[in-house]
Amino acid sequence: MAAPLARTAGPPDARRGPAGPGGATQLRRSQRRAAALLITPFFVLFGAVMVAPIGYALWMSLFQERSSGLGFGGTRRVFAGLANYTAALSDPGFRASFAHIALYCALYIPVMIGGSLALALLVDSALARAKRFFQLALFLPHAIPGLIASIIWIYLYTPGLSPVLDWISAAGGSWDFYANDHVLLSMVNLSAWQWTGYNMVIFYAALQAVPREVIEAAVVDGAGALRTALRIKIPMIASAIVMTVLFTCVGAIQLFTEPKLLNQRGAPSIDTEWSPTLFIWKAGFVQHDYGLAAAASLLLAALGVALSFVVTWIGNRWKAAV
Amino acid sequence: MTRTSRSFRFAATAAVAALGLLVTACGGSGGSTGAASDGKPVTIEYWTWTLGAKSTVDAFNRTHKDIKVKFTEIPSGTEGYSKLSNAVQAGNAPDVATIEYQMVPEFASQGNLIDLTKYAGETVKTKFPKPVQSLVTFGGRTWTVPYDVAPQLLYYRTDLFKKYGIAVPKTWDEFRTAAEKVRKQDKNVRLASFPKNDPALLAALAWQAGGKWFGTQGDAWKTGVNDTATKKVAAYWDGLVKDGLVQTFTGYSPEETKARAQGSTLAFLGASWSAGGMKTALPDLKGKWAAAPMPNWGTPAVGNYGGTSYGVLKGSEHAQAAAEFITWLTTDKAGVEARLADLASPSSALPANADMRKVAAARFDTSYFNGQDLYALASQQADTIVPGWTWGPDQMDVYTAIQDTTAKSGFTAGVEAGEHKAESGIESRGLKLAE
Repeated sequence: MAAPLARTAGPPDARRGPAGPGGATQLRRSQRRAAALLITPFFVLFGAVMVAPIGYALWMSLFQERSSGLGFGGTRRVFAGLANYTAALSDPGFRASFAHIALYCALYIPVMIGGSLALALLVDSALARAKRFFQLALFLPHAIPGLIASIIWIYLYTPGLSPVLDWISAAGGSWDFYANDHVLLSMVNLSAWQWTGYNMVIFYAALQAVPREVIEAAVVDGAGALRTALRIKIPMIASAIVMTVLFTCVGAIQLFTEPKLLNQRGAPSIDTEWSPTLFIWKAGFVQHDYGLAAAASLLLAALGVALSFVVTWIGNRWKAAV
Repeated sequence: MTRTSRSFRFAATAAVAALGLLVTACGGSGGSTGAASDGKPVTIEYWTWTLGAKSTVDAFNRTHKDIKVKFTEIPSGTEGYSKLSNAVQAGNAPDVATIEYQMVPEFASQGNLIDLTKYAGETVKTKFPKPVQSLVTFGGRTWTVPYDVAPQLLYYRTDLFKKYGIAVPKTWDEFRTAAEKVRKQDKNVRLASFPKNDPALLAALAWQAGGKWFGTQGDAWKTGVNDTATKKVAAYWDGLVKDGLVQTFTGYSPEETKARAQGSTLAFLGASWSAGGMKTALPDLKGKWAAAPMPNWGTPAVGNYGGTSYGVLKGSEHAQAAAEFITWLTTDKAGVEARLADLASPSSALPANADMRKVAAARFDTSYFNGQDLYALASQQADTIVPGWTWGPDQMDVYTAIQDTTAKSGFTAGVEAGEHKAESGIESRGLKLAE
């Protein structure tokens, strides 16, 4: 793909120059048209599913629905300026939802990324047998849709239904997956189960690209398996790690299914505005406050963008350092 | 450089043009439903979650040539109402939907309902009892047409009550004593389960105790989600939960049903409509259940737990036809009979209209309840529904606040949070709150 593009780009002066052969200009024009035609679908979709909704949300976020008296005389839309934004930012529930996600990330990212990295290194190591099998087996949980996975785990967490809890109590122990101190762990467990295998596959693929000569050189120099992994392999797949951390962070601030289901199953500390997306869902669909929901969504999107920049920046510095 | 930017411009223009096409295409499809007033049958969309809906719609379509109803099943509760209000917002709402009484003020004041005074105001005024009228009439306008009243009932296992030697509790004191007695005999069995996630049940019990969560005073709303009667009810259930006398399964969950099926929950707090689903949910327990009046605080009184009405949603172009369908659903013998004709899960709702009540009672299969005349019991209980209750204009939000706080710190804290939300919700929408 890169080679033909580079060729057609050509030196700019040759294109503009009057001495340029007419045939070449013709060719370029038709290619130009073809390229435009090929990228049009992207812009159509991008405009329809990204730009237009964001623009609409931006518009909606500037208005509020107001009624008067008992409210049965109809509603009217009034321009509210930034009132929805200040309402969202000053809402303790909205602010707390970000704290919840931060805490979740602090637990989840080390567990999940660390776990998948360790698994990828194990599978990659010369010791591992049946690499294919492990790759597939570990990836399998990700093939189950997230919603279904959540429902299954919640079944396993629910007293009265869960065989796991029955075994625990039969062994004389007791555990409450929904208790305030445990519910975050239950949620991390659920997400880690879904995503560890997926990220392991990414890391494993990145490890395949590490030149074997480098590893052989390390071995010749006397580095053991652990040292090779820590000093050679991990630094060499730094880009993959940064990318997965970025995706995980962006995914985490959009956490919805797991807390929503845990809330419905009655986990006491997971309330209806536990995560930012739940807050937005509630503002829009329970409180019918579309302006607030739009403003909160845009704030969340802005945070997502900012987070992406920060993670990429830190990642680049780390990559440069190692 | 020029090359890329020019093709970009071309692409962008093409994209904008295509988008324009897309938008006009969407806009075009909306208007096509209006052209049906010239003899061709009008098709109306109907979204509901009530039992026996399919058989009702089939019966209507069989007997009506000029109106055809297309039925879609939606979830009940918050999810269902979200779906409805979003559909209104998006401009693709159904013509007719089931709106419980508790959601009528909220839906009407959000502008989601078409004023039905012109089409069904007279029907509501002449065919329904006054207390029910007041649940669907606000600001002097009729917003929905009532179907049923839902007096609370206590459903209990006759065999297990005998086994544990307990009589059907008549008051809440007796209920507590019975709960203690059951627990003493078997630590894995409880008299009942009281869900922390069903504020509508708490509302019904507050209603029974004489609470009034909302009211109107001139053109202002009054709130009392934490009034004395409600606090009494909240404290009662907090006590039962604290002492381990009731289970706290999530309401309408598999574990709740499992406990009933296993016999580890002996009774449940339901309403007239609860009987309809039992045949499918607990088929093996046929003949082992009976219903009784809800325990009370000393004098016969009961609250309404649920209860449905039918409204026409904003954006409907066939309000007239929709109102005709609704009138048939709620006040026509054939409509009520069809609702009970569903073999798997017939409706056991108690029609608010007196004539329809007789029709439904005659049609209801009482074999599951060993021949107990459920409709007679429910009718008699309906007469003791405490008058004067009003639902709020931000009911769903209040429910959510109660539910969130109850899960963390109990019912008493829950109703305090509910009151706080009731007030802030009213004020934030610009509605008037009485001092």
